[in-house]
Amino acid sequence: MSPAEVTDSLATLRADFDRSFAEPARQHDAEYAELLAIRAGGRPYALRLSQASGVHSDRPVTPLPGPQAALLGVAGFSGSIVPVYDLAALLGHPVPDRPRWLVLATGTPPLALAFHDLDGHVRVPTSIIVGETDGSSGPGVLRGMVPLPGGTRPIVDLPSARAVVHQLTGHITYNTEER
Amino acid sequence: MAKRTFGSKLWFGFGLTVALTLVMGAASVIALSVVVDAKDDTIREAVEDLVSAEHLTTKAESRISDYRAFILSGKQEYLDLTNNDREQFLALVVRLRGTLTNPGSLALLEAVSAAEAKHAAALVPVIEARKTITDLRNTSQLNSTGVVGPLRKAMQEAIAALTAKVRADVEAARRDSSARATQAIVLIVILGLAAMACGSYIAWRLNRDLRREVGAAVGHIQSSSAQLEAAAAQQASGGRDQASAMSEITTTISELLITSRQIADSAQRVSKIAEDTADAAQTGDTTIDQTKASIAAIRSQVDQIVQHMLALGEKSQQIGGVVDLVSELAEQTNILAINATIEASGAGEWGRRFAVVAEEIRKLADRTAGSAKEIRTLIDDVRGAVNTTVMATEIGAKSVDAGSRQFDDATSSFRRIAQLVATTNDATREIELSTKQQTTAVEQVNVAASDTARVTRETEASAVQTKQTAAHLSSLSGDLLDLVGTGRR
Repeated sequence: MSPAEVTDSLATLRADFDRSFAEPARQHDAEYAELLAIRAGGRPYALRLSQASGVHSDRPVTPLPGPQAALLGVAGFSGSIVPVYDLAALLGHPVPDRPRWLVLATGTPPLALAFHDLDGHVRVPTSIIVGETDGSSGPGVLRGMVPLPGGTRPIVDLPSARAVVHQLTGHITYNTEER
Repeated sequence: MAKRTFGSKLWFGFGLTVALTLVMGAASVIALSVVVDAKDDTIREAVEDLVSAEHLTTKAESRISDYRAFILSGKQEYLDLTNNDREQFLALVVRLRGTLTNPGSLALLEAVSAAEAKHAAALVPVIEARKTITDLRNTSQLNSTGVVGPLRKAMQEAIAALTAKVRADVEAARRDSSARATQAIVLIVILGLAAMACGSYIAWRLNRDLRREVGAAVGHIQSSSAQLEAAAAQQASGGRDQASAMSEITTTISELLITSRQIADSAQRVSKIAEDTADAAQTGDTTIDQTKASIAAIRSQVDQIVQHMLALGEKSQQIGGVVDLVSELAEQTNILAINATIEASGAGEWGRRFAVVAEEIRKLADRTAGSAKEIRTLIDDVRGAVNTTVMATEIGAKSVDAGSRQFDDATSSFRRIAQLVATTNDATREIELSTKQQTTAVEQVNVAASDTARVTRETEASAVQTKQTAAHLSSLSGDLLDLVGTGRR
């Protein structure tokens, strides 16, 4: 990177920062969707930020003995103990690497999913999100796809993930969350 | 005599001949002296005795004449003459008595003396008588007795007899001496014949020996001369061949001399080149030292570069650490912004405004993370470049070390080359010196070969001369054989 390019990008940054204060207030979230671009097991995914209650990195996870390979252990969030499941294992392609990112799903019971990399926070129009036709819940975790720079990504639905966890742990499958 | 030399034979024969000649000469001298003595005796006898005898007659007649003159004149002077004559007469008698040897003649002399004495005795009275007589008419009285006359005749007869006897003796002596001379002539003739015979024998013997021995020797000489001539011809031919061979040898040696001089010049040039090479090697030695110093300086510079590069890598690592910190901060800011967005989405209208701020914060965090990533990439590039540079520099240092070692090897090789060049220089000088000595030796050989060729030509010339001399000797031998009568063989 040449000094001229550095100067240009510095000017661009300054202009963007200044413009952010000049822009009018944006429309409601109904027109836009907040997405997190992540990677789990080396594969790209996206998940809706509206289904998450927090994102954390490098939280200590206490392993628990058990038959579930996807259960990494439990972690403490704001005074509560939350089970942590490996998203890649839930998606069916577990990798030996230990994931460092955790996303807390909204709703109860509390659940945290671990993924390996955070590619970024994107804001996309809802119109470009390809949803399923019937909108009913299926046996999988993925619900729809979103085209993003770098490729189209499947969208991980966190309530479906909780349902899959419940199935794994032998609970009755029901969905209390709004999709 | 067969084993004696021909010279001794000649000397013997000549000596024998000379001895015979001496004997003949001595005999001749003796004979001549005998003849001369005989003739001398005869002549002396004829001269002295006969003359004395004749003088006796003369003196007797002279005395008679003087006596008669006295008688006639009566003068004393005539008487003195008469006495003088008688004294001379007596002296002659005495002289004859000493000289006569024949007894008959002596007897006749004594008879003469006796007759004269009687005659003288007879005369004394007459003379006395005459002195007394003064008148010549009485002269007849003087010889009155008449004895003087007979006595005078007797004396004259005795003297005549003596003279005849002496004449006869002289004649006898002449005949005797003639006989002796005849004997001497005969003896000399006999001796001469003997000497001639002996000389003829010696001559025949010498001639025979000469023909036999000298002829044989001359024959040998002739055959030897022929052999010598053949040998001389062969020697002359060989000398010519040898002379041509020596000429070729001389030519070859001259070429060899030229080649040797060329070799000497080449050796000298090689020596010069070797000296130049040694000088260049010394100059190269200095250059090698300078190059070694330069290599050591390069090694030191490379070490410093490595140190600086390692320090630069360390600084880059520190920068990387800071960038990691910035990245961590950006990530945490991003997480906070995301969580703020999540919290804002549930906070109604106020939350929406807060979400805008949170998004801006998130964007800043993203940009910060992107810039940190770029810095990280740059730092990694720098570190990679530093590592590459360090590795390249270490490789270069190793290359410098290897080059230094190789240069040391090259230096040792170069110094060994320099030593070898020095050795080569010495060897070249030795070669040059040896070649010069060889050239000198070849020149001496050339001179010797030229001398030998000259001597060979002289030998050939003398062989030709020897051949001519041998031919001449052979011809002379033939002539000598002709001379000694054997004839050419």
